[in-house]
Amino acid sequence: MNGIPLLPAVTVEFFGSALAILFSFIALRYAWFLVRLQPSNFIWGFLFYFCIAMAAFSLSRGVGHMVRIILVYTDQNTLWKQLSPLSGGFNTMLMISVAAVIIYYHKGLAAYKLLRQEAVKLFDANTQLASSAKQLQELNTHLEEMVEVRTHNLSESEKKFRNFFENSKDIIFFCDKNGYFTNINSSGIKLLGLTQPPESVNFHDLFAHKNDLETYLNGLHTDGFISDLEIECRGNNEGPKFILLTANAIYDLDGQFVAYEGIGKDMTRLRTMTEQLINQEKMASVGQMAAGVAHEINTPLGIILGYTQLMMDDFEPDSETHNSLLVMERQTKACRRIVADLLKFSRQAHSAKTVIDLNTIIGEVLAVTEHTLNINRIDIIRHFGAGLPQIVGDAEKLHQVFINLFNNAQFAMENGGKIIVTTGKINNELHIIVQDTGTGIPDEIKNKIFDPFFTTKDVGKGTGLGLSVTYGIIKNHGGRISVESPVTDPLSNETVQGTAFHIWLPVNSTPNDENREQH
Amino acid sequence: MKKHPYIHIIPIILLVLFSFAENCWALQSHGAPEGIYVHQMAHLLFSGALGYLYWHTRTSPVIKSKGWKFLQIFCFFLIAWNLIAFTGHEAFSHLTPTDFIDKNTWKEQLAPPITGMKILYYLTKMDHFLNVPGLFALVISLRTFYREALLEAKK
Repeated sequence: MNGIPLLPAVTVEFFGSALAILFSFIALRYAWFLVRLQPSNFIWGFLFYFCIAMAAFSLSRGVGHMVRIILVYTDQNTLWKQLSPLSGGFNTMLMISVAAVIIYYHKGLAAYKLLRQEAVKLFDANTQLASSAKQLQELNTHLEEMVEVRTHNLSESEKKFRNFFENSKDIIFFCDKNGYFTNINSSGIKLLGLTQPPESVNFHDLFAHKNDLETYLNGLHTDGFISDLEIECRGNNEGPKFILLTANAIYDLDGQFVAYEGIGKDMTRLRTMTEQLINQEKMASVGQMAAGVAHEINTPLGIILGYTQLMMDDFEPDSETHNSLLVMERQTKACRRIVADLLKFSRQAHSAKTVIDLNTIIGEVLAVTEHTLNINRIDIIRHFGAGLPQIVGDAEKLHQVFINLFNNAQFAMENGGKIIVTTGKINNELHIIVQDTGTGIPDEIKNKIFDPFFTTKDVGKGTGLGLSVTYGIIKNHGGRISVESPVTDPLSNETVQGTAFHIWLPVNSTPNDENREQH
Repeated sequence: MKKHPYIHIIPIILLVLFSFAENCWALQSHGAPEGIYVHQMAHLLFSGALGYLYWHTRTSPVIKSKGWKFLQIFCFFLIAWNLIAFTGHEAFSHLTPTDFIDKNTWKEQLAPPITGMKILYYLTKMDHFLNVPGLFALVISLRTFYREALLEAKK
């Protein structure tokens, strides 16, 4: 029976050892590359040390095996016996080393994982920090620009609302809860005639009527607002102002009423115009009625006068009957004059219009009346405009207008004074002002002075038809008349006592325009 | 860092000590079988360590990579090799010089009769059939890791 030759096993051992050395060093090379590529990676570090241990072990073992084969089979068994324990010892030690490296891998990996978690956290934090820093940098870069843009927008907005506030023709105001102005626009200051600093003026004090103020404050406190409340304010020297008021209450964070804001619209002009319209309508109605009455009375009066004069021929001039008839004739004529005046007021009288010069007309009237006026210590001051255009009008009736105005002025200046007559041209109108320095006209009767039969004179001294007739004549000439009392001096803007009648007559009317003659 | 001046002497001392290994310099005396026992224990330790590495890389890989697969193959081969080597050493310890013919020559044979122990020894002597493929798997594993890392670095 043959034995088993060991040569194949020895051959495998020899070349296997060589290949083991080769592969272990190739593996070590790759591990080295990995470590060099990513030095901070623990896994590559572990594999590197592991490969070192493996390479050392493979080298030790492989060389040991190969040396053994060479020495033993070349009859140097003695030397191998000396080296054998050394080789075995190395092999054992290196095997333990490889095992130790693997065992320490566990602990190292745990530490590595912890470090990596911290590193990831740190990286995230760094990334976030970098992102925040970038945002901050961008913000810083654009901050100035953003501030500039926003400041500009704010400025534009402020300018817009400031312009709206200042340029508004309505009153815009802010008051504290006690009613003192905290801010008011220039229109408000002008309209309310505020001469003191607005902060020292209490809006509540400007209310002309207590009832209006109560309604206003009740609305603000109860509903928080007041809408379209028509109030009368004590204005400046131009007289009271009628204001359409809308206001809102302002509350603080605790809901406490702290202030209010409001807008007021000046309704004075509208109110005046409305009153004038009503007055005109009234005058027109009265004029129509007066014309009818005058027309009906005029005929019987004519008959009475005719028969009275016929009867007078039948009696002796100094007889009692004749004297009585004279009284009748005189009173009947007076009645006819009144009727004639009524007809003039209602524009039903004859009218003969021609081209006239107004300064001449006034001059003719003054030539007749000035002497009497001077006796009553009234001076006439003429401010006639030079080169006034001629107008078409009834000279006789216009004489009557100025006679009436001078008579009224004389009546208002019992102790003497001045009558200032001013003529001029404004646009396409002649403007005539007859101003006196008399007692003036109280506000309460200003709207009644043009009414027929309205008079402040004692009974028997006036018929109350003078200004009515004047009004009718001016209207008949296409003009208008108004009264101003007291008078504001246009030069000094001061208010002076007296009355001024303003007459405007159109320049370009033709002789046929106004002829609505009847009778 | 400044090295200690005597640090270079340590390897020389160690070399001298290992060169005269038949003399025991330790205080405790060590018998002849101690070397093989330690060696066998080292094989078992090595196997256990590889087993742990195999288990860990399989259950909780730190880095996702195909390289771990080859490392696990390496572990498998090396564990097997360790066990074979352990067995081989054990088998050899049961053989006597009479079990060999023409010992220490190229014609060396296992003497008849061929017993199971002799066959086991013969087979375990071929342990490089496990060791070399294992190391080859380690090479492939590291090459895979390197290529992937290189690719990642290039990104």
